[in-house]
Amino acid sequence: MDIETRQEGPCRVVSIRGSADVNASASLREALLGAVEAGQTQIVCDLADTDFICSDALGVLITAYLKARGRGGFLHLAGPGARLSDILQTTRLNRLFHVYPDTGSALAAL
Amino acid sequence: MRSARVAAGNPQTDDRGEWTKKVLPTDLGAVRETEREVLGLLRDQGYDDDQVFAVRLAFEEALVNAMKHGNGFDPNLSVHVAYRVTPERVEIRVADEGGGFTPGTVPDPTQDENLERPCGRGIMLMRCYMDEVSFSPRGNEVSMVKHR
Repeated sequence: MDIETRQEGPCRVVSIRGSADVNASASLREALLGAVEAGQTQIVCDLADTDFICSDALGVLITAYLKARGRGGFLHLAGPGARLSDILQTTRLNRLFHVYPDTGSALAAL
Repeated sequence: MRSARVAAGNPQTDDRGEWTKKVLPTDLGAVRETEREVLGLLRDQGYDDDQVFAVRLAFEEALVNAMKHGNGFDPNLSVHVAYRVTPERVEIRVADEGGGFTPGTVPDPTQDENLERPCGRGIMLMRCYMDEVSFSPRGNEVSMVKHR
Protein backbone atom coordinates (compact mmCIF):
# COMPACT_ATOMS: atom_id res chain seq x y z
CA MET A 1 0.00 0.00 0.00
CA ASP A 2 1.22 3.48 -0.83
CA ILE A 3 -0.14 6.63 0.74
CA GLU A 4 0.09 9.99 -0.97
CA THR A 5 -1.05 13.20 0.66
CA ARG A 6 -1.65 16.61 -0.82
CA GLN A 7 -3.22 19.84 0.26
CA GLU A 8 -6.30 21.19 -1.54
CA GLY A 9 -7.07 24.53 0.08
CA PRO A 10 -7.98 23.81 3.69
CA CYS A 11 -8.42 20.14 2.96
CA ARG A 12 -5.93 17.31 3.26
CA VAL A 13 -6.40 14.66 0.59
CA VAL A 14 -5.01 11.26 1.57
CA SER A 15 -4.84 8.83 -1.33
CA ILE A 16 -4.53 5.13 -0.51
CA ARG A 17 -3.16 2.99 -3.31
CA GLY A 18 -3.18 -0.79 -3.18
CA SER A 19 -4.31 -2.97 -0.31
CA ALA A 20 -5.25 -1.51 3.06
CA ASP A 21 -4.68 -4.84 4.80
CA VAL A 22 -3.73 -5.50 8.40
CA ASN A 23 -0.05 -5.07 7.64
CA ALA A 24 -0.71 -1.63 6.16
CA SER A 25 -2.85 -0.38 9.03
CA ALA A 26 0.05 1.12 10.95
CA SER A 27 1.05 3.29 8.00
CA LEU A 28 -2.54 4.32 7.48
CA ARG A 29 -2.92 5.15 11.17
CA GLU A 30 0.23 7.23 11.09
CA ALA A 31 -0.89 9.16 8.00
CA LEU A 32 -4.43 9.88 9.14
CA LEU A 33 -4.02 10.33 12.88
CA GLY A 34 -0.77 12.18 12.28
CA ALA A 35 -2.62 14.62 10.08
CA VAL A 36 -5.31 15.18 12.69
CA GLU A 37 -2.77 15.59 15.47
CA ALA A 38 -0.96 18.14 13.31
CA GLY A 39 -4.16 20.15 13.06
CA GLN A 40 -5.32 18.89 9.65
CA THR A 41 -8.90 18.13 10.61
CA GLN A 42 -10.50 18.45 7.18
CA ILE A 43 -9.62 15.23 5.41
CA VAL A 44 -10.76 13.53 2.24
CA CYS A 45 -9.64 9.93 1.95
CA ASP A 46 -9.27 9.04 -1.72
CA LEU A 47 -10.06 5.33 -2.19
CA ALA A 48 -10.14 5.30 -5.99
CA ASP A 49 -7.02 3.13 -6.19
CA THR A 50 -7.65 1.09 -3.04
CA ASP A 51 -8.23 -2.53 -4.06
CA PHE A 52 -8.76 -4.06 -0.61
CA ILE A 53 -9.64 -2.96 2.89
CA CYS A 54 -9.85 -5.06 6.05
CA SER A 55 -11.74 -4.37 9.25
CA ASP A 56 -8.56 -3.21 10.96
CA ALA A 57 -8.08 -0.48 8.34
CA LEU A 58 -11.77 0.41 8.59
CA GLY A 59 -11.15 0.87 12.30
CA VAL A 60 -8.35 3.31 11.53
CA LEU A 61 -10.69 5.32 9.27
CA ILE A 62 -13.30 5.40 12.03
CA THR A 63 -10.80 6.47 14.68
CA ALA A 64 -9.47 9.26 12.46
CA TYR A 65 -13.03 10.32 11.60
CA LEU A 66 -13.94 10.57 15.30
CA LYS A 67 -10.80 12.51 16.17
CA ALA A 68 -11.30 14.92 13.27
CA ARG A 69 -14.95 15.38 14.16
CA GLY A 70 -14.02 15.94 17.79
CA ARG A 71 -11.88 18.85 16.69
CA GLY A 72 -14.61 20.34 14.55
CA GLY A 73 -13.42 18.79 11.32
CA PHE A 74 -14.38 15.84 9.15
CA LEU A 75 -13.09 12.83 7.28
CA HIS A 76 -14.94 12.03 4.08
CA LEU A 77 -14.40 9.09 1.72
CA ALA A 78 -14.13 9.46 -2.04
CA GLY A 79 -14.06 7.18 -5.03
CA PRO A 80 -14.46 3.70 -3.61
CA GLY A 81 -14.77 1.04 -6.28
CA ALA A 82 -17.51 -1.57 -6.37
CA ARG A 83 -15.91 -3.95 -3.88
CA LEU A 84 -15.08 -1.28 -1.31
CA SER A 85 -18.52 0.25 -1.76
CA ASP A 86 -20.00 -3.15 -1.03
CA ILE A 87 -17.99 -3.40 2.19
CA LEU A 88 -19.14 0.09 3.22
CA GLN A 89 -22.75 -0.90 2.58
CA THR A 90 -22.41 -4.27 4.27
CA THR A 91 -20.95 -2.71 7.40
CA ARG A 92 -23.35 0.26 7.11
CA LEU A 93 -20.35 2.54 7.41
CA ASN A 94 -21.79 4.42 4.47
CA ARG A 95 -24.16 5.78 7.12
CA LEU A 96 -21.27 7.02 9.23
CA PHE A 97 -19.05 8.48 6.52
CA HIS A 98 -19.97 10.85 3.76
CA VAL A 99 -19.02 8.87 0.65
CA TYR A 100 -18.47 10.79 -2.59
CA PRO A 101 -18.04 9.26 -6.04
CA ASP A 102 -14.65 10.94 -6.45
CA THR A 103 -12.31 13.38 -4.76
CA GLY A 104 -13.39 16.25 -6.99
CA SER A 105 -16.99 15.82 -5.88
CA ALA A 106 -15.94 15.71 -2.25
CA LEU A 107 -13.89 18.89 -2.53
CA ALA A 108 -16.61 20.66 -4.49
CA ALA A 109 -19.15 19.85 -1.79
CA LEU A 110 -17.11 21.44 0.99
CA MET B 1 5.54 -21.13 8.61
CA ARG B 2 5.99 -24.81 9.37
CA SER B 3 4.00 -27.90 8.51
CA ALA B 4 1.38 -28.88 11.01
CA ARG B 5 1.16 -32.16 12.86
CA VAL B 6 -2.10 -30.98 14.39
CA ALA B 7 -4.09 -28.55 12.29
CA ALA B 8 -7.35 -26.73 12.74
CA GLY B 9 -9.94 -29.22 13.89
CA ASN B 10 -7.78 -31.98 12.46
CA PRO B 11 -10.07 -32.20 9.41
CA GLN B 12 -10.24 -35.58 7.77
CA THR B 13 -9.59 -36.32 4.14
CA ASP B 14 -12.72 -37.36 2.24
CA ASP B 15 -13.73 -37.63 -1.38
CA ARG B 16 -13.17 -33.89 -1.80
CA GLY B 17 -9.45 -34.35 -1.39
CA GLU B 18 -6.57 -33.56 0.89
CA TRP B 19 -6.35 -30.69 3.33
CA THR B 20 -3.26 -28.53 3.46
CA LYS B 21 -2.35 -27.82 7.06
CA LYS B 22 -0.13 -25.07 8.42
CA VAL B 23 0.89 -23.81 11.80
CA LEU B 24 1.53 -20.07 11.85
CA PRO B 25 3.28 -18.03 14.49
CA THR B 26 1.18 -15.38 16.19
CA ASP B 27 2.68 -12.73 13.96
CA LEU B 28 0.68 -10.53 11.61
CA GLY B 29 3.59 -10.75 9.20
CA ALA B 30 2.54 -14.33 8.46
CA VAL B 31 -0.90 -13.27 7.25
CA ARG B 32 0.06 -11.99 3.82
CA GLU B 33 2.15 -15.02 2.84
CA THR B 34 -0.56 -17.44 3.93
CA GLU B 35 -3.22 -15.51 2.05
CA ARG B 36 -1.03 -15.52 -1.04
CA GLU B 37 -0.76 -19.30 -0.95
CA VAL B 38 -4.49 -19.86 -0.66
CA LEU B 39 -5.52 -17.18 -3.13
CA GLY B 40 -3.04 -18.58 -5.64
CA LEU B 41 -4.90 -21.88 -5.46
CA LEU B 42 -8.19 -20.10 -6.12
CA ARG B 43 -6.79 -18.36 -9.18
CA ASP B 44 -5.32 -21.63 -10.43
CA GLN B 45 -8.78 -23.16 -10.18
CA GLY B 46 -10.35 -20.30 -12.12
CA TYR B 47 -12.26 -18.53 -9.33
CA ASP B 48 -13.19 -15.01 -10.41
CA ASP B 49 -11.84 -11.82 -8.89
CA ASP B 50 -14.92 -11.18 -6.75
CA GLN B 51 -14.67 -14.65 -5.23
CA VAL B 52 -10.95 -14.24 -4.60
CA PHE B 53 -11.62 -10.89 -2.96
CA ALA B 54 -14.31 -12.38 -0.72
CA VAL B 55 -12.12 -15.26 0.42
CA ARG B 56 -9.18 -12.92 1.00
CA LEU B 57 -11.29 -10.66 3.20
CA ALA B 58 -12.79 -13.50 5.25
CA PHE B 59 -9.48 -15.33 5.60
CA GLU B 60 -7.68 -12.18 6.74
CA GLU B 61 -10.38 -11.46 9.30
CA ALA B 62 -10.15 -15.01 10.63
CA LEU B 63 -6.36 -14.96 10.89
CA VAL B 64 -6.27 -11.56 12.57
CA ASN B 65 -9.00 -12.55 15.01
CA ALA B 66 -7.07 -15.71 15.89
CA MET B 67 -3.83 -13.82 16.55
CA LYS B 68 -5.34 -10.74 18.17
CA HIS B 69 -8.38 -11.89 20.11
CA GLY B 70 -7.69 -15.62 20.34
CA ASN B 71 -3.99 -15.71 21.16
CA GLY B 72 -3.77 -12.17 22.47
CA PHE B 73 -0.64 -11.66 20.35
CA ASP B 74 1.17 -14.13 22.61
CA PRO B 75 4.23 -15.16 20.57
CA ASN B 76 4.31 -18.49 22.39
CA LEU B 77 0.96 -19.47 20.88
CA SER B 78 0.27 -20.62 17.33
CA VAL B 79 -2.53 -20.37 14.80
CA HIS B 80 -3.56 -23.59 13.07
CA VAL B 81 -4.81 -23.31 9.51
CA ALA B 82 -6.27 -25.95 7.25
CA TYR B 83 -7.59 -25.40 3.75
CA ARG B 84 -8.52 -27.15 0.57
CA VAL B 85 -9.58 -25.70 -2.73
CA THR B 86 -11.46 -27.65 -5.37
CA PRO B 87 -13.16 -26.41 -8.53
CA GLU B 88 -16.45 -26.46 -6.59
CA ARG B 89 -15.61 -24.97 -3.20
CA VAL B 90 -13.07 -23.40 -0.89
CA GLU B 91 -12.88 -24.65 2.69
CA ILE B 92 -10.81 -22.91 5.35
CA ARG B 93 -10.41 -23.58 9.04
CA VAL B 94 -8.54 -21.32 11.43
CA ALA B 95 -7.96 -22.24 15.06
CA ASP B 96 -6.17 -20.40 17.84
CA GLU B 97 -4.83 -21.60 21.17
CA GLY B 98 -6.73 -19.13 23.30
CA GLY B 99 -9.62 -19.66 25.65
CA GLY B 100 -12.30 -19.26 23.02
CA PHE B 101 -15.39 -17.07 23.03
CA THR B 102 -19.11 -17.14 22.40
CA PRO B 103 -19.81 -15.66 18.95
CA GLY B 104 -23.37 -14.72 19.93
CA THR B 105 -22.08 -12.27 22.50
CA VAL B 106 -20.32 -10.08 19.93
CA PRO B 107 -22.36 -6.89 19.43
CA ASP B 108 -23.86 -6.36 15.98
CA PRO B 109 -21.53 -3.76 14.43
CA THR B 110 -24.20 -2.63 11.98
CA GLN B 111 -26.49 -1.31 14.70
CA ASP B 112 -26.60 2.47 14.85
CA GLU B 113 -25.15 2.55 18.36
CA ASN B 114 -22.14 0.49 17.25
CA LEU B 115 -21.26 2.21 13.98
CA GLU B 116 -18.59 4.35 15.64
CA ARG B 117 -16.84 1.38 17.25
CA PRO B 118 -13.48 0.89 15.53
CA CYS B 119 -13.48 -2.88 16.18
CA GLY B 120 -15.85 -5.84 16.00
CA ARG B 121 -16.57 -6.23 12.28
CA GLY B 122 -14.48 -9.30 11.51
CA ILE B 123 -17.05 -12.00 12.21
CA MET B 124 -19.79 -10.10 10.42
CA LEU B 125 -17.58 -9.71 7.33
CA MET B 126 -16.73 -13.42 7.38
CA ARG B 127 -20.43 -14.29 7.51
CA CYS B 128 -21.28 -11.88 4.70
CA TYR B 129 -18.51 -12.84 2.31
CA MET B 130 -18.47 -16.62 2.80
CA ASP B 131 -21.36 -18.99 2.19
CA GLU B 132 -20.97 -20.98 5.40
CA VAL B 133 -19.34 -19.91 8.65
CA SER B 134 -19.41 -21.90 11.88
CA PHE B 135 -17.50 -21.93 15.14
CA SER B 136 -16.37 -24.80 17.33
CA PRO B 137 -18.22 -25.18 20.63
CA ARG B 138 -15.34 -23.51 22.47
CA GLY B 139 -15.24 -20.73 19.91
CA ASN B 140 -11.53 -20.98 19.17
CA GLU B 141 -11.94 -22.41 15.67
CA VAL B 142 -13.82 -21.00 12.71
CA SER B 143 -14.75 -23.05 9.64
CA MET B 144 -15.66 -21.27 6.43
CA VAL B 145 -16.87 -22.43 3.03
CA LYS B 146 -17.20 -20.52 -0.22
CA HIS B 147 -19.00 -22.22 -3.08
CA ARG B 148 -18.02 -21.59 -6.67
